[in-house]
Amino acid sequence: MKGSVVLINDINKSFGESRILNNVSLEIKKGEFFSLLGPSGCGKTTLLRIIAGFETPDSGDIKLDNTSIINLQPNERHVNTIFQNYALFPHLSVYENVAFPLRLQKKSEKIINEEVRKYLSMVKLEDHIKKMPSQLSGGQKQRVSIARALVLQPNVLLLDEPLSALDAKLRQHMLIELDSIHDQVGITFIFVTHDQQEALSVSDRVAVMHQGVVLQVGTPSQIYESPGNSFVADFIGETNFIEGTVVSVDDKMGVMNVDGIGKVNFYLDKPVKTGDFVRVTVRPEKIRITKEYPKIEGHPHTIVLNGIVDELIYTGFQTKFFVHLDSKVLFKVFKQHVKYFMDETPINWKDPVYIWWNPADGYLVEVEPR
Amino acid sequence: MKKINYGKIYTAPLTMWITFFFVIPTSIIFLYSFLKKKLRGGVLWEFSIDGYTALINQSFFKVVWFTVVISIFATFLTLLLAIPTSYFIARSKRKNLYLFLVIVPFWTNFLIRIFAWISILGNNGFLNNMLLSLGIIKSPLMLLYNQYAIIVVTVYTYLPYAILPLYSTIEKFDFSLLEAARDLGASKLQSLFKIFLPGIRSGIMTATIFTFIPALGSYAIPLLVGGQKSFMIGNLIARELKVTMNWPLASSMSVVLTVVTTIGIFIFLNTNKNKSELKNEN
Ligand SMILES: Nc1ncnc2c1ncn2[C@@H]1O[C@H](COP(=O)(O)OP(=O)(O)OP(=O)(O)O)[C@@H](O)[C@H]1O
Ligand SMILES: [Mg+2]
Repeated sequence: MKGSVVLINDINKSFGESRILNNVSLEIKKGEFFSLLGPSGCGKTTLLRIIAGFETPDSGDIKLDNTSIINLQPNERHVNTIFQNYALFPHLSVYENVAFPLRLQKKSEKIINEEVRKYLSMVKLEDHIKKMPSQLSGGQKQRVSIARALVLQPNVLLLDEPLSALDAKLRQHMLIELDSIHDQVGITFIFVTHDQQEALSVSDRVAVMHQGVVLQVGTPSQIYESPGNSFVADFIGETNFIEGTVVSVDDKMGVMNVDGIGKVNFYLDKPVKTGDFVRVTVRPEKIRITKEYPKIEGHPHTIVLNGIVDELIYTGFQTKFFVHLDSKVLFKVFKQHVKYFMDETPINWKDPVYIWWNPADGYLVEVEPR
Repeated sequence: MKKINYGKIYTAPLTMWITFFFVIPTSIIFLYSFLKKKLRGGVLWEFSIDGYTALINQSFFKVVWFTVVISIFATFLTLLLAIPTSYFIARSKRKNLYLFLVIVPFWTNFLIRIFAWISILGNNGFLNNMLLSLGIIKSPLMLLYNQYAIIVVTVYTYLPYAILPLYSTIEKFDFSLLEAARDLGASKLQSLFKIFLPGIRSGIMTATIFTFIPALGSYAIPLLVGGQKSFMIGNLIARELKVTMNWPLASSMSVVLTVVTTIGIFIFLNTNKNKSELKNEN
């Protein structure tokens, strides 16, 4: 099996006065598609540049398969980078760009020719071998840079927002292609992005970063369904928070009192005592919305709330409702259109509605003991 | 209605300027080079190729050789100094200050700056006095009136002309390409030679032309700091014009200088172009 285990151990980095990375530790498995996800400026690029060797950390260590690489020059590390701006050499043709690393290794012309063609056909660019970078589209340039980074068969491929310069459609397409390239070459991918859709859709695991700190590491569904804290819940996808004081607890369920709403049931994803302050996240797509009072069977703990539609956005496959509860709390509710939506009783602006969800679909993100 | 060609009107002043100060003088020189010489200067209106046959002698070729060698050395040294300097300026935070310093010498007359060099390099000059007082040398060094002095002053004179075009290309150079090269296995030196220098090729070419061409036509520098033996083509032309009063010969030398330079630039620009086009082919 190709690829390396990447061990990032307690990395700290400051630029001047500002601390950019704060005790960052990660263990990335062999052959994993690992994403670093976080808002702009949280230090993703800096961490990637430390792994590639362009930046020296103030403290900490990076190991590839148990060997420290922290003192190696960038050209001595078996790690290659896909740059956000492609960084193709403008004076060299597509062929020569991909051949560049092989020529540095003084490979024979025959091997160079074989390898270059092999990787250019992997990224479907066989027909553009003779072109100069300036004659390529953005997506094609990105493919060249992928072929160029893979031709040396590195142990780890670092990708710094490789798709951010492409339009939405092409982005989707390239993402799928990246995934299939990952399956073909089998090496470790570390993929930096601030787009949670991208991260969730292809990664084996995701690390969510914020202000130089790793907040949570987990599979996409762990990150989405059981966010480690409110920031992660809010950053990944869209969500609603309900917060209040715990009034009673039994072995599986708790009840909290929410200002202006009243009693709301929640599952005890974490240990909780009566009197604690708790915050629960409920994803908008897990909330149901109707005009008539719902008949709920089999979910005795479900609480029905009523409110008024403040705003609705029709996006084709779903409608996003922004519902004002009596207390002025705003709730997002996404209704998926599984049928032609005219068949259903339409909900309009300013309509009074009922919303409800199964407490098992919420997640207790934070507990503050009181 | 007939369309007025505004382009021609707008470029008229420039066309006139070039005609009066470049085309006409060059044509006169070309014409004179095929005439007979008058005894005390001027020309006789009789066709002759004496001007050119007189060129075919060893001393003229020697001067041409000397001029070319000096110019090549001076250009090479200028680039060697100008590339790191421009790199430094382009990457520094105080670009404007440094660019200003590069341009400052233009405020002083060219000849006065040459005399400044004489007072630095002369037997009784600043450099010799300093070395003497430090006890590094016992008697003054002969720093002036040789080909080295010509090279030093030529490099000094044309350095700003090389720095400015190099600066403007280096400023536009994408430095992340060097990181990409390092990432792909290039050492620092390899990324310099394989990526950086090819990347600023157009700046290097401009700087080369801006230094080499005026160096070929040097007159004042070899005259003032070159000494008796250091004759460059410019000095030879002046001598034929003013001392031996052989105007057709002076003209034929000028024609040769112009033609050689033009062909030189043409070949230089074309080989560079071909090289980059060849890379597309394979
Ligand atoms: N060379 C540098 N000198 C000073 N500060 C820097 C340097 N490089 C990065 N920073 C700062 O470090 C912080 C993190 O930058 P970084 O590029 O790692 O963010 P990022 O997570 O990649 O953001 P983005 O998603 O916008 O690319 C930023 O505040 C940035 O201003
Ligand atoms: Mg970044």
